[in-house]
Amino acid sequence: MTPPSETPPETSPKRPTALRLHRALEPIYASDPRFRGWFTTNNNNDIGLLFLIAAAGFFVVGGVLAMLIRAQLASPRSVFMGPDVYNQVFTMHGTVMMFLFAIPFFEAMTVLLLPGMLGSRDMAFPRLSAYGLWCYLIGATTVVASLIPGLAPDSGWFMYPPLTSTEYSPGINTDIWLLGITFIEVSAISAAVEVVVTVLRYRAAGMSLSRMPIFAWYILVVAVMILTAFPPMILGSVLLETERLLDWPFFQADRGGDALLWQHLFWLFGHPEVYIIFLPAAGMISTILPVMARTTLLGHGWVVGAAVSLAVLSFGLWVHHMFTTGIPHMGLAFFSAASTLVAVPTAVQIFAWIGTLWRGRPRLDLPMLWLLGFFATFVIGGLTGVMLAVVPFDWQAHDTHFVVAHLHYVLIGGYVFPMIAAVYYFLPIFTGRTRFFKLGEVAFWLVVPGFHVTFLAVHWAGLLGQRRRTWTYDAGQGWEIINLVASVGSFVMAIGFALVILDVAVNAAVSSRGRRNPWGAGTLEWATSMPSPSYNIASIPVVRGRYPLRDDPDLAHRIARGEGLLAWPARNRRETLVVGTARGEPLQVAVLPGNTALPFVMALATSVVFLAPLIDAYRSAGVALLAVLALALRWAWTLGSKVDEGPLDAGHGLALPSAAEVPDPPGWWGSVFLLLADVTQFGSLLFGYAFLWTVAPNWPPPSYLAPGLWGPALALTGAAALAAGPRLAARAIGRTRAPWPGLVLALGGAAALAGGAATVWAARDPTAHAYDATLWLLAGHILLHAALAAIMLLYLGARVARGYASPARIGEARIVQLWSDFAAATGLVALAAAWLPGAFA
Amino acid sequence: MSDILRLSVPLAAWLAGFSVVYGLQGLSCSRHWPEGLAARPVLLSAWVLAVALQAALLWMLLRNPSPSPFARAVSLALALTALLAALWTLMPVAVTSVCL
Repeated sequence: MTPPSETPPETSPKRPTALRLHRALEPIYASDPRFRGWFTTNNNNDIGLLFLIAAAGFFVVGGVLAMLIRAQLASPRSVFMGPDVYNQVFTMHGTVMMFLFAIPFFEAMTVLLLPGMLGSRDMAFPRLSAYGLWCYLIGATTVVASLIPGLAPDSGWFMYPPLTSTEYSPGINTDIWLLGITFIEVSAISAAVEVVVTVLRYRAAGMSLSRMPIFAWYILVVAVMILTAFPPMILGSVLLETERLLDWPFFQADRGGDALLWQHLFWLFGHPEVYIIFLPAAGMISTILPVMARTTLLGHGWVVGAAVSLAVLSFGLWVHHMFTTGIPHMGLAFFSAASTLVAVPTAVQIFAWIGTLWRGRPRLDLPMLWLLGFFATFVIGGLTGVMLAVVPFDWQAHDTHFVVAHLHYVLIGGYVFPMIAAVYYFLPIFTGRTRFFKLGEVAFWLVVPGFHVTFLAVHWAGLLGQRRRTWTYDAGQGWEIINLVASVGSFVMAIGFALVILDVAVNAAVSSRGRRNPWGAGTLEWATSMPSPSYNIASIPVVRGRYPLRDDPDLAHRIARGEGLLAWPARNRRETLVVGTARGEPLQVAVLPGNTALPFVMALATSVVFLAPLIDAYRSAGVALLAVLALALRWAWTLGSKVDEGPLDAGHGLALPSAAEVPDPPGWWGSVFLLLADVTQFGSLLFGYAFLWTVAPNWPPPSYLAPGLWGPALALTGAAALAAGPRLAARAIGRTRAPWPGLVLALGGAAALAGGAATVWAARDPTAHAYDATLWLLAGHILLHAALAAIMLLYLGARVARGYASPARIGEARIVQLWSDFAAATGLVALAAAWLPGAFA
Repeated sequence: MSDILRLSVPLAAWLAGFSVVYGLQGLSCSRHWPEGLAARPVLLSAWVLAVALQAALLWMLLRNPSPSPFARAVSLALALTALLAALWTLMPVAVTSVCL
C-alpha cells in the first residue's frame, strides 16, 4: 500500500469548505431526533456522555453510603444503624464504588475521547458501546435498587464463602451481587474488546505505535487487563452461584471443596483491578500534566514501559490479600517480593511526571491543582502499600482500618483526583463551554484537606487495632476522638465533592462558548470544533509526530476543510480508516453501523437472562436466552454486503478495500480478543481444578472417572472434524466453490465433541463431590462452545446461501474457523483433564 | 503484530514462570509429591529455567530488534524488567522454608 502523500490532493468531487463538509457529514452521523434517539444512538459522544452521567450518579450513591458509614462510626455504640443495615451499606459502598463508578467512569471517558485522540470517526464497534451502556445501566440500577427493600448484598464487596454460602446467607442478597455484578461485567468485557480493536486498528494514517497518544497506550493496557482479570471472577461467581442454586460443592470442605478457592479466583481479579482503576487515571495524568506544564511528556517510552510492566506485574500480587490464610512462607515470600517490585514502575511514572513539571513552565489552573492533590495523596497511599506488602506488618494490620485508609489513599488519591482533573480539562470538548464559575477551587480546598483529615485518622485507628467491617465499637479503647475527627473530615470532603458536581453542571449548562483547543494541547482530540461533532473528525489526518497539533498549528483547519482522508461522504454512509497495527499505514475502510435500537433491546433480553433467576423465573431466563441468540444473529446479519465493492476511494489518491472484503475484518480482531477472555476463563477453571486436586481437604474423591473408549473416540474424531471442516469451507469459498462438505463435516465434529462431553455428564453426580462438580463444569464448557460453533456454522451456511460470501468476503468464514478451533482445542484439553486422573488411577 | 509480541512476550513469560513455580511449590507440599524427592532442588531448577528463558528472550530481542527505535527501546526495557522480575520474585526458592 502506498503511503498517502503529504500535500493534500483534490480528489473529492468538490473541494469542500469546512461548513459544507460539516453539513454533509452531520446528517449521516447524527442521532435520531427526540426521545427515540436515546435508545437508538450508538454514537460515541452520546454513549460516552450517558455513561459519564450514569457513573457520576452512582458515585453520588456510593458517596451517600460512605457518609452513612461515617455517621455510624462517629461515636461508639451508635444506634444510627443496626448490624444488618450496616452490612448492606458497607458492602454496597464498596460494590458501587468499584463496579458501578470507577470502571464505568473511565470507560465513559474512553468512549468519549478515544476516537478523537486517535483521529477516528468512532469506536470500532459502536453498537457494542451502546449494548455495554444499557447492560450497565439496567444491571447497576437493579443492584442499587435492592437497597430499598433491604435485599442488598451484605457480605462485603469480596463475597467470601462460607459466609456467602446458602447456610449463612440464605436470602437473595448474595445472588443479587453474583448475578447483578456478572451482568454488569458483560459491559466491561464489551468495552475492553472494542477498546483494544480501536487502539490497534482505528487510528489516523501514519499514527504508528510510537506516535500513539499516551492515553491510548494506557487504555490499551487496561483493556487487555480487563480481558484477562475479569474472567477469573466471573468464573468464581459462576461457581458460587451454582453452589447456591444447584448444591455443587465447590467451596464446601466436607465434599471436597475449599473456601480458599474463592479467594484465589477473586483476588486474581481483585488485585489487577486496582491497577485497572489506577492506570486510566495515570493515562490522564500523562496526558494533562505536560499540557499544564507547557511541554511534552518526559520519558514517553519509559512511561509506556512502566505502564506495561505495572499491568503484568499486578497479576503476580493476588496472594498478598491472603497473607493471613496460612499459606507457607515460601508462597508468601513470592508475593511479598512481587508486591515490593511493583513499586518500581509506579515510581518511574511518578518521576517522569515530576521531571515533566521540572522541564516545563507549569501553570496552576484547576486541572493542575487536582493533579497536585493526586501527588500529595497517592504517594502516601503507595508507601502504605509497600508497608502492607511486607508480610509481618500485614499480619498486624490485616483487616484493620489501616487497610481501609490505604486503599482509599490509593483509589481516591490515585483515581478520583486525576479523573476530576480530567473532567475539568476536557470540559470544553464535552460541553463546548469554557469554565466561568469558580466553585471548583473552593471544592478542591474542601475535598483534599477533608480527605487527609479523614483517612490519616482512619490509618491511626487501624494501627490502634480497630477492625474493619464491624458495625460499632465500645467506648474506652481510645478510638472515639479519632473516629469523630474522621467523620467530620469525611463530611467536609463530601461537601467538596458535591460542589465539584455542581460546578461542572453549572458550567456545562450556562457558561460562555469557548474556542477550540483552549489549553494549547498537541493531540488530535482538540482538533475538532467544540463540543465534539457527531462525526468527531471531518477528515482523517496524516500524522507525522506524537503531537500533531503542535507540529502543525493549522492542522485543525485543514482537517475541517476536508484535507485528510475519507473527507467527502460520497458513499453516503459512516466510514472510518483502519490502519496497520504497528506502523499505522492505511489498510481498509471500515463501514460503521447506523442508528439502531438493537443494542438496547438485546441488553433488555440479556438482563432477563441474568436477573430472572433471582425470582426463580428460570423459564423466562431460558426464553430470554433464545431471544439474545436471535438478536445476536440479527446483529451480525446486518453487516456485510452481497456484492464486492472493490477498492474504495479514500482520498489522497488512495484506494483501499472495504473492511468487509479482507481476511481480517474488525470482527475477526474482536473475536481474537474475546477469545483471550474466554481462554483466561478456561485457564481459571483448570487452575481451580488443580488447586482443589492439590490442596483441598477430602480428596481424592471416592472414585475417578474412567475414560472408557467411546468418549475419547468421539472427542478426538469430533475435534479433528471441527478443526478441519471450517478450513475446507473457507478454502471452498475462496475458490468460489460450494462450502457444504466442510460445513457438514464441522457440524458433525461439533456434535461428536459434544457427545464426548455428554459421556462425562452421564457418568457423574455433580452434587456428590467438588471433583464431580468440576467435571460437569468442564463438560459444560465443551457443550457451550460446541453449540456456539454449530450455530456459527449454520449461520455461515445461511450467509453463503444468501450471497454474503465471496473470495474477497472471506472474513466471516475465518471468524467461524477461529471459534471452531477454540472449541476443538479447549474441548480436548478439558476432556484430557477430566479423564487423565481416572486413566492413571 | 510482531512489535506487539516483542513488547508483550517477556513479561507474559515471567508471569507464566512465576505461576508455574508457585504451583510447583504448592504441589511439593501436597500429598501428590513423590516420597523421597527433595523439593528445593526441583524449585531451584525451575527458577534457573525461568531466568534462563528470560535471558534467552532478551538475547533474541537483541539479535532481532524491532525496526522502530521506539519499539526497540521499550521492548528491551521490558525484557530486562522481566529478567530482573524473574530473579527477584522467585528468589525465595533459595532462602525460605518450603512448606512451613
